[in-house]
Amino acid sequence: MNKFMMVLASCCLAASALASEVKLDTVKVGIDKPTVGRGVEAMMTDCHSCHSMKYIKYRDLLSLGVDKKKVDEWRGDQPMDAALMAQMPEADAMAAYGSAPPDLSLMAKAREGGANYVYSYLLGYYTTPDGTTHNHIFPATKMPDILGMSNAKEAAERTAIQGKARDIVSYLVWASDPHAQERQSLGYYVMGYLFVLTLMLYFVKNQIWAKLK
Amino acid sequence: MPHRIINWIDQRFPLTSFVKHELTGYPTPRNLSYWWNFGFLAGFVLMLQVATGIFLAMHYKADIAMSFDSIQHIMRDVNYGWLLRYLHSTGASAFFFVIFIHMARTLYYGSYRAPRELLWWTGQGLLLLLMGTAFMGYLLPWGQMSFWGATVITNLFRATPFIGDQVVIWLRGDYTVGDATLTRFFALHYLFPFLIIGAVIVHLVALHTVKSSNPSGINLQDKDNIPFHPYFTIKDLYGLGLFLMLYSVFVFFMPDSLIEPANNIPANPMVTPNHIVPEWYFLPFYAILRSVPNMVGGVVAMGVSVLIFAFMPYLDRSRIPGGAHYRPMFRGLFYFFAIDMGVLGYIGYIPPTEQSILIGQVATFIYFTLFLILPFLSKFEERWLMKRGLTPEIEALIASEAKEISEKSKKRSKR
Ligand code: HEC
Ligand code: HEM
Repeated sequence: MNKFMMVLASCCLAASALASEVKLDTVKVGIDKPTVGRGVEAMMTDCHSCHSMKYIKYRDLLSLGVDKKKVDEWRGDQPMDAALMAQMPEADAMAAYGSAPPDLSLMAKAREGGANYVYSYLLGYYTTPDGTTHNHIFPATKMPDILGMSNAKEAAERTAIQGKARDIVSYLVWASDPHAQERQSLGYYVMGYLFVLTLMLYFVKNQIWAKLK
Repeated sequence: MPHRIINWIDQRFPLTSFVKHELTGYPTPRNLSYWWNFGFLAGFVLMLQVATGIFLAMHYKADIAMSFDSIQHIMRDVNYGWLLRYLHSTGASAFFFVIFIHMARTLYYGSYRAPRELLWWTGQGLLLLLMGTAFMGYLLPWGQMSFWGATVITNLFRATPFIGDQVVIWLRGDYTVGDATLTRFFALHYLFPFLIIGAVIVHLVALHTVKSSNPSGINLQDKDNIPFHPYFTIKDLYGLGLFLMLYSVFVFFMPDSLIEPANNIPANPMVTPNHIVPEWYFLPFYAILRSVPNMVGGVVAMGVSVLIFAFMPYLDRSRIPGGAHYRPMFRGLFYFFAIDMGVLGYIGYIPPTEQSILIGQVATFIYFTLFLILPFLSKFEERWLMKRGLTPEIEALIASEAKEISEKSKKRSKR
């Protein structure tokens, strides 16, 4: 029966070791306020025109430490509790690009590869010798190269773009699960509590069973 | 005062004697291993699912225009809504994990054999109800995988002879999976767990009639039975602690590992995901479905692969006690079956290629072959073990067990 568990465990390992088809770059997502705050700004200047984030409200940006003046500027005459809707109506975007820009609130969780996918996708643009732009990760994409990776020749420029992509992805990861940090810190307490409790139950169990001969 | 209240009740209702007889004093074999903890754990997870589910239902909206948003409302705005949802979505996996081990225990120790057939069959019914509940619950978040999973599975009922198309429409309440499907799945997802509770009670009544089996496979003398409380209450609680630690790792640190990324995209009937996969607990059966080239054949094979467990009391003809413990051939079969399940699960997970389909077909063939050779192998093994000479204890036990069963049935028929 114990062998059975080993078989079970090794099957689980085998299934999770499945390689995906395209190699994704890995990104170390930042959870600190400065990084996420920079991500918000980059997002609002570069992506907000086309993409909505309908599960995020302007008020939520304040809690990330973004300057109130900036938030007021972004929201214009919309209330604080308005959701971040795209500036361009979906139909216009559809007409212009041939594909509707998806809502980004859950994007960091909505693709195989998660944050790494989005990071690799944003940086995956390149120019072929005949002058057209393509994407390694999503060859058929209708989104233009927003961050300009395909035109960036110098190392410094590329590094700057990579940094920006990381900021954006960090913000998207936060947005996809705003309670993640709270969840993890609560998790440590729960694990500690369960560990002590289980240990005590173990000793009580041994004590009770010791009465049996 | 409490004493007087209990006295008052006891004159009108057998409370104390029931608790004493069925709970605290229930005679339990002292040699039960930790593999016997999983029944209690299944009951615990059932309660957990009901508790979290009822609170989720207070904030959830069963309407295709609102359900995806209502899940995000739960995840973001409801106080500890994220915890409720992750407890519930992880709880479904935990339930199957526990149930699969519980079933594997029963198979390994041969606990499905006489006189425990009814116990095994009520368990089989519980498995079907659990599968139905989880399948319908998975539609509720109304993500891409919810929608396409439900579409693919309801579509299988087209295989019903003559009235297939009507059955599919009847199940969905519409020509395609839509609002009518979502609301009925929600209603039934709320109902089924309570049917499960009812079936669990039947399962336990059957258990208390025939009593627990034990690792030796031998009916123990009275002196080897100990009262359930405090010995097994504390052992179950200790096991619960270990289980909760594993469960909490998933709930607090990797809850999304059990949710398909595509289910974070709202359902869209116009866009098929490039790879439709069911939840992990359905994968082996899904692989069997896909292994048969013909749709009707696939559906039949999948159905039989789940229901075939019900025949175990007849397929296993050996009288050697102790399950796989004293039976080397049966033990080999058991491990072979476990590995085959793993292979099928893996094949069900990956996108089909020519090679994976072939492996899946071989694994499907092995799956059924193992059940079908069991009657011959078990009889052959019994003869072989007898010829090699059983230890006198085991022989005496087989004899005493046979005597006991015939005496019991005589007693019953006299009454
Ligand atoms: C000019 C409009 C426009 C801007 C600005 C824009 N996008 Fe997009 N984006 C699109 C369109 C159109 C699509 C749909 C692509 C498709 O499905 O072919 C898209 C798709 C995406 C996707 C999903 C890709 C997939 O796998 O389906 C991500 C992620 C994304 N955009 C991120 C961003 C980020 C981050 C920014 C800001 C740096 C941004 N976009 C700015 C138009 C835009
Ligand atoms: C046998 C026990 C149960 C099982 C195995 C089960 C399983 C599931 C599953 C797999 C989901 C989808 C989870 C997700 O991906 O988000 C789900 C969702 C849901 N279930 Fe259950 N469930 C059970 C009991 C209940 C009960 C008793 C209720 C009470 C009403 C309930 C209410 C809900 C609701 C409202 C949802 C939608 C919210 C969500 O998706 O998280 N469930 N269930």
